[in-house]
Amino acid sequence: MQEHYPIRISQIGLVSVVDVSLGSIIQFGDRAEATPKLNALAVQRAMDHTKAGSVYFESYPIFNRPLPKLIDPVADAGEDVCIRRFNHCPRINIGCVFVTAVGATSSLLAGNAMRTIAESRIKHIRQYDKTLINVT
Amino acid sequence: MVNFTVHNCGLTVGNIEILGVSAASMFQIGDSDYVTLYSMFDTPPESVIAGPMAPLPVPEGEEDAVGEAPMAG
Repeated sequence: MQEHYPIRISQIGLVSVVDVSLGSIIQFGDRAEATPKLNALAVQRAMDHTKAGSVYFESYPIFNRPLPKLIDPVADAGEDVCIRRFNHCPRINIGCVFVTAVGATSSLLAGNAMRTIAESRIKHIRQYDKTLINVT
Repeated sequence: MVNFTVHNCGLTVGNIEILGVSAASMFQIGDSDYVTLYSMFDTPPESVIAGPMAPLPVPEGEEDAVGEAPMAG
């Protein structure tokens, strides 16, 4: 009978990250729960800021629409899948990790997590002040 | 009921190179119980408007709306 370990430890040689932005997480260690959320309106308009006016999240349904929901009474009762895990080795060994960018409620985690619920809603608007195709 | 048994034997990785982790994504070195990731990204072709400048729409109840502060004034 092989020996079992309750949790595994992550061992990393080097982590190199250039940019972390927009509600992202970089964590070394264990965590219970993380629920990052991001609402973003990315507007590019060919208009002066003094005349452009305000932009509102409420104007766009993407920020109000409900999240898709799993409707499964068997899963809700916890009677769908029974997971058993056996860790025969107490470590996860990684050499070097190079990451250029972490953004938009994403997470880089070296360690164990119980529950992660991330949500990002991004709407792009582009307005150019001339027609791209000449209509005659 | 499905019985799912996982045996985690040794795990050793050399180097990892990632350009980007974006829009409700996750890169984890370790173990996780539950992961739920939602991402809504709206850039259809109609988002690009080329023509006469139209004002941005104003929602009902503009006073209570959470908007960016006007740049003017």
